[in-house]
Amino acid sequence: MNLTALTIKDLGEGLRGRQFSAKEITEAYLKNIEARDKDIGAYLEVRADAAVREAEEVDKLIAADEELSELAGLPLAIKDNILIAGEKTTAASKILANYIASYDAGVIQKLRSAHAVLLGKTNLDEFAMGASTENSGFKITRNPHDLERVPGGSSGGSAAAVAADMALAALGSDTFGSIRQPSSFCGTVGLKPTYGAVSRSGLIAMASSMDQIGPITKTVEDAAILFKAIAGRDSLDATSTEADYENLLVTDTGTLKKMKIGVPKEYFIEGVDSAVKTAVESVVKFFEGAGLTIRPISLPHTKYAVPSYYLSMPAEVSANLARFDGIRYSRIRAAEQRRNDARNNAEEGSQRLSASSPRQSALWDIYLKQRGRGFGPEVKRRIILGTFVLSSGYYDAYYKKAQQARRLISDDFASAFGEVDVIITPVAPTPAFKIGEKADDPLAMYLEDIFTGPVNLAGLPAISVPVRMRINVDNQRRSASLPIGFQLIGKHFREADILSLGNYYELNADGRG
Amino acid sequence: MSSPISPEAIYHLAQLARIELTSEEKNRLLADLQKILGHFEELQKLDLSGVEPLTGGTLQKNVFREDGERTCTNSGKGRESFPSKHNGYLKVPPVFPTEGGSASGGEE
Repeated sequence: MNLTALTIKDLGEGLRGRQFSAKEITEAYLKNIEARDKDIGAYLEVRADAAVREAEEVDKLIAADEELSELAGLPLAIKDNILIAGEKTTAASKILANYIASYDAGVIQKLRSAHAVLLGKTNLDEFAMGASTENSGFKITRNPHDLERVPGGSSGGSAAAVAADMALAALGSDTFGSIRQPSSFCGTVGLKPTYGAVSRSGLIAMASSMDQIGPITKTVEDAAILFKAIAGRDSLDATSTEADYENLLVTDTGTLKKMKIGVPKEYFIEGVDSAVKTAVESVVKFFEGAGLTIRPISLPHTKYAVPSYYLSMPAEVSANLARFDGIRYSRIRAAEQRRNDARNNAEEGSQRLSASSPRQSALWDIYLKQRGRGFGPEVKRRIILGTFVLSSGYYDAYYKKAQQARRLISDDFASAFGEVDVIITPVAPTPAFKIGEKADDPLAMYLEDIFTGPVNLAGLPAISVPVRMRINVDNQRRSASLPIGFQLIGKHFREADILSLGNYYELNADGRG
Repeated sequence: MSSPISPEAIYHLAQLARIELTSEEKNRLLADLQKILGHFEELQKLDLSGVEPLTGGTLQKNVFREDGERTCTNSGKGRESFPSKHNGYLKVPPVFPTEGGSASGGEE
């Protein structure tokens, strides 16, 4: 069976036409996972038996001639920060290594009632903090297009699973680029919905004012189908809302040609890899050739997005991750702790607290040790930074300024959208980088998100679509041809605009640029 | 502007955040945070007077739901998934210092 060419639409037609069974499809994916995932490492947990059972349920529905949803029998990979009841959900953190979710996330409830098949949980940067999936507490994930490179992050496992045909589609989460950047690196389509379009209930929170769940798929049409299935109001997420998503894929060329696309000068700057620049410019030319209006625009506060984010997100992180106390959800065992204890005790001699200090309670010590062992370096960095920006004396200088800058960034978009319907930009400044290349430089990793992050600060929808043109991105290795994505940013709740244009590009661009 | 982050500040912040750090981690964090905050000094140059902070992700207005009875379908599920139990009780590590003064650090 050719899984590479299979789309969600094909799957539905094939199942209804009895060309194959849901069980056969699921087993084909499971076989692929078994063959390929030892090299790629996309999954943290594969639900082989449960997935086959779910597929058999779909086959029963087919045999009984029941009406099938578009997602029935769809083999999906789920990022491991999204709760599936009864399954281990770790957010790739050791502090949650043994946590079993007690309820289904809102999106999982929707997928279950649509009879999708959940293949397993995918790897991510711990608590979705990172841009390479190297920050996972358990293992790294490799890019299926080049195993020496990262898949991007934090939804690197989900993007790699789809790119390597180890799932037909996947869910990721995006706080500052975590769906779109791995999609650009892995050659998948990734949609970050408008803030509030999809329920965050059961998503392990990182920065609640920016987190959104979205689809990672092979085609734009598939992204539209999966997005429509998970979107909508959920009483367990007060920020979720019901928007009109009836017609997400407009194909009438007359309507599409009336759209105006803005090209922000701040996104085509020094530091952007020439391959990325060439690739995105080829897409701009394509739309121009197709008769759409292309207009240069300015988003003057773009350069403040990364500082604004890294001074406000950690504040939300420090609050959201306070609940992980090492007692309620999962515990790090004593034996594991002792290994480090001798070393630490020797180091901490000078900082021993006085006997009268209330801090010298056993409970305090449990928190310190569990959180000290349970969180990885990037998570600790963000919690400490967040604690700092919220602390008395620094709140106004950092946190408040970050929030004010966020307003200016959001206002930039609002005035640009007075002139244009959609904005086109690169997704990331570079194609997939080498494993280890940025691992020791947090700031370099943060700058990966300069083009995706502003979108989250403003709560807008955006999509990463693979550029058709093949560009040699590595002169040392002649054969290297890595995927590069372009980003379309839309107005609030106008996913239809970016999906429709992405779909039009995907169906009509010929790859010559 | 001199960096507001000192080794003492790192220790204090780590205590506030309830995270034990090794001295190696403290040194690393100190260097990282100084570099990160230094890079973000750019933000201090921006004129933000009169700009209303944007604190949330949504422009939607808050509304209150109808106050009423609701059925909870997963009552007790949180208890089931608690890491350690004994005879229907939730088992937590000892939180008072044991004889000899040493805390358990979550040992069971």
